[in-house]
Amino acid sequence: MNRAEPERLGGVIRALLSHYWRHPWQAVFLLAGLVAGVALWSAVQIINSHARASYAEADFVLGAQASHWIRSRSGAGVAQADYIALRRAGFRQVFPVVQARVSTADNAPLAIIATDLLALPTGMAGEGGDAFDNASLDWLAFVQPPYQAWVPAAVASELGIAEGEQLRLHDGRRLPPAVIAAREQQGRQIFMDVGAALSLLGRDRFTALAVGPVLPDEVARLAAALPADLMLDANQQRLDLTQLTASLHTQLTAMSLLSFAVGLFIVFNAVRFSLWYRRPTLRTLRLVGVSVRALALAIVAETLVWSVLGSAFGLLAGWGISHALLPSVSASLQNLYGAVVGADLLLDPVTIAIAWGMTLVGLAFALAWPLLLQLRGPVLPGGSASAGVMAEARARRVLLVGAGALALAAAGVYWQMGTVIEGFVLLGLVLFAAAWALPQALASAHRLLGRALAGAPLVQRWIVSDGWAQLPALRTAMMALLLALTANLGVETLVGSFRTALAGWLDQRIGADMYVNSAQLDTRRFVADPGNADWLATAHARTGVTIRWQGRPTKVYGLDTATPDTRALPLAQAEPDALARWSGGDRRILANEQAHYLGGLRLGQTVTLPTDGGATDYTVAGFFHDYGNPYFQFYLPREEVARRWRDVHSTGLALWLKPGVSGETAETALVAAGAQPGEWFAQGDIKRLSMKIFDRTFAMTAAMNTLTLLVAGAALLTALLAILHERLPEFAQWRALGVTRRELLRVIAVPLALFVTLTWLAAIPLGALLSWLLIHELNVMSFGWSMPMLWSPQPALKLGLLSAGIVVLVLIIVLSQLTRKLPQAMAQLGSAQ
Amino acid sequence: MLSFSGVVKRYAQPEGEVTVLAGVDLAIAAGEAVALLGESGSGKSTLLHLAAGLDTPDAGIIQVGGQTLAAMDDRALAALRRGTVSLVFQQFHLIGTLSVADNIRFQAALCGRLDAAFEAELIDRLGLATQLDKYPHQLSGGQQQRVAIARALLHRPALVLADEPTGNLDERSSGAVMALFRDLVKAAGSALLMVTHSRDMADYLDRRLWLREGRLHHEPG
Repeated sequence: MNRAEPERLGGVIRALLSHYWRHPWQAVFLLAGLVAGVALWSAVQIINSHARASYAEADFVLGAQASHWIRSRSGAGVAQADYIALRRAGFRQVFPVVQARVSTADNAPLAIIATDLLALPTGMAGEGGDAFDNASLDWLAFVQPPYQAWVPAAVASELGIAEGEQLRLHDGRRLPPAVIAAREQQGRQIFMDVGAALSLLGRDRFTALAVGPVLPDEVARLAAALPADLMLDANQQRLDLTQLTASLHTQLTAMSLLSFAVGLFIVFNAVRFSLWYRRPTLRTLRLVGVSVRALALAIVAETLVWSVLGSAFGLLAGWGISHALLPSVSASLQNLYGAVVGADLLLDPVTIAIAWGMTLVGLAFALAWPLLLQLRGPVLPGGSASAGVMAEARARRVLLVGAGALALAAAGVYWQMGTVIEGFVLLGLVLFAAAWALPQALASAHRLLGRALAGAPLVQRWIVSDGWAQLPALRTAMMALLLALTANLGVETLVGSFRTALAGWLDQRIGADMYVNSAQLDTRRFVADPGNADWLATAHARTGVTIRWQGRPTKVYGLDTATPDTRALPLAQAEPDALARWSGGDRRILANEQAHYLGGLRLGQTVTLPTDGGATDYTVAGFFHDYGNPYFQFYLPREEVARRWRDVHSTGLALWLKPGVSGETAETALVAAGAQPGEWFAQGDIKRLSMKIFDRTFAMTAAMNTLTLLVAGAALLTALLAILHERLPEFAQWRALGVTRRELLRVIAVPLALFVTLTWLAAIPLGALLSWLLIHELNVMSFGWSMPMLWSPQPALKLGLLSAGIVVLVLIIVLSQLTRKLPQAMAQLGSAQ
Repeated sequence: MLSFSGVVKRYAQPEGEVTVLAGVDLAIAAGEAVALLGESGSGKSTLLHLAAGLDTPDAGIIQVGGQTLAAMDDRALAALRRGTVSLVFQQFHLIGTLSVADNIRFQAALCGRLDAAFEAELIDRLGLATQLDKYPHQLSGGQQQRVAIARALLHRPALVLADEPTGNLDERSSGAVMALFRDLVKAAGSALLMVTHSRDMADYLDRRLWLREGRLHHEPG
């Protein structure tokens, strides 16, 4: 390259970029597409990487990373005296934990967690990171009345708690004064001193003692030092959260990639239009001797500039969106996995680099085709309008062939599919095959409509026929709209089906009038107490033990085979007379669907469980639905569990009241037996809470769906403004022929409405296919939950209305532009155009 | 048919305000064909736009068929252009998604004045009989201009305003199309004001006017 070349290249770049000074809207739309795509993708990446970082850090407060737990055999909790004795014996790694679930006056669920900060093992507190900023902590206020309740900022804003306020609970008790802060690792839990929690809950025993990192010989010494009622358990619930939550993060990433793809459509549109408008400039540059190579270099330089700007602004927007989405993602993670994700987000260099790389690749993809067409063509335009029409038809055919290839690839993937990632690859292939086939489908439908209107008045035919002029510009926007509508419909059907399945499942499973979970209550004595016989119809005291199966923490529940809920246990799959054979001590076991779909268990297969007496075999008699549970779970008759495991603990008590008995009678009896207010829930409250948690879990899905639809709306606006810009002289000429403004608007609106309607219609079966894949393939592979797909016309109608709203909004913007620009265009009619 | 009385039009330019029309008086009778000549930038097209109600004067009165344009709202102006005034430009602006036959009928259909006999005559004389089922992109430039002329005349407008209607055609085609255009305008019974900078094209019409320094003159300067 000689010395003059860089200067020449600079001149070429200046000439190309000067276009955007004259057409700033194109720059805005190009940037908007990049920002929209990068923003959603990066928002999810920021959340994902942050969540993974949170898992990696020990969440000692939750106890998930404690090496061992010390629990009471009777389930009554650990006495304070036993704890003090252990500390005095030199076991400094032992610290108390109190956990409880309470509800606010408005029935919002709250998780309370408490420990003794002064007793935390130094290593854990230090490595626990910045959970507690020693410098800013007012130790005295924290550990002495009236104490402090550390409320996460997100929870405080949801519940409207002000600093210093004492939140009133459902039973009238009040939390200590709130200290609101965004702290890592606290998640959505209210944290307080152990003394404050015991006082609030009216308990005198800890839920358990957690044990920090210990050497193997210390474990033996600790076990030997425990009183008879206490037992030392290795922390079976210690989770590999990264592995457990992988499916959810994959789903989030897939949705963000879909948004990125939709954003890319806007970029593709904007780049296509900007190159189209710059044809004369490109032609002139080539005529004055600028080589194709220099032009290509200039466009590469321009691409680099856009990629830097797009990824920078996109990351900034993504940062903002991630803050908005984090509460619902945190809620999902905590509700599903008990995983605690902090509130402080960080943008890491890897996310920045990938965002820039993806933007660059996206731009290169969006530029490659039009650039190739532009530069491979002759210097002077030999192109007639006829060539343009043929090129458009050819482009549609090429896309259709591509769609066929993608559909074939999708069929191949479906045949071989085995992992969640492959499942999402299948979804991507199906969606893009449909999107690529759409332009030809729209053209064919438009042609048919034209034929059907052959005898209609000329003006009507003209209005409809204008679709041919709009289709090339609208094609990409319609593809983006199809993707967004299909994703929305698919996910809405999934969520709707899931919600219905969950509600039905809750109705069947939560059949008792009250559910009690109290460390203080001796359930066996309470049920047997003749004093309760007046009001208590039936009780079901469940027991349980945690084991490890297939390397994951697994709960084995002991059920009373005679209670109504067990007798009517709904099974997703079962061998004949499954419940009868299971109850009859026939070494039959019931497993949750997760054990079937994720653990690989089959009906009739033998499962070997580690019991205290050694490995024991059971035959799988059936699988039960177990929505919302990420773990494997088994049901055995209560007696069988008691026979096989020593350290069985109570896992709750279900009470059926006699007809006409009020809840207050049962509550009075429970208090008299030692249970504390807040340790029981009425049936309706549980269902309401469960549905509330469900809705909060899926709030993020709805938010991402809405954002994707907005991106598609932006693509539509870009396309229409491009049409307006390109055809303004033509519109002015029509006005000069006497076409009224209303007729002109109809010419723009009717084909647009037609294409949007056809796209919406195409999205309905496609959305159904997507939801079928999500429900019957992806959901099962990700979470191990199966459910019937419930297709309802309501989401489709809602999306139809929403699309119509977007069209109207876009038309209003276009009309205002038209009103502003048309007079000038009319005044310039006849001048060089 | 068309009258201008003391019409003034100014444009704001970076270097200051420029007066393009400085008190123009003009009268064209029904059926009369007038050529408007002048150098580039003399204001010929501006005058034509004002006559069609596509632009508004800064002073003066413009009347078409006795109606004062300044008193008409957007809808009335659209109605005027649809039925009374027809425009023919150098750019043909045919509707690419309609066939040649539909393009010819377009403006007549808008104002509800379809005339099968006159349509047949126009098609015949413009040599478009074999092109009717084609689409504009399948026609040559000359053929497209003929379609634009047929579209402008089919509804027999009282006034035809043409801006360099043969500017996109070669010299030989220009003469033939111009002669035909003049004859067809007469056949339609329309008055014609045609902007051109070609004296040869102007010679086809009844009267010639020159626009110079913002005023109309009956002789070249």
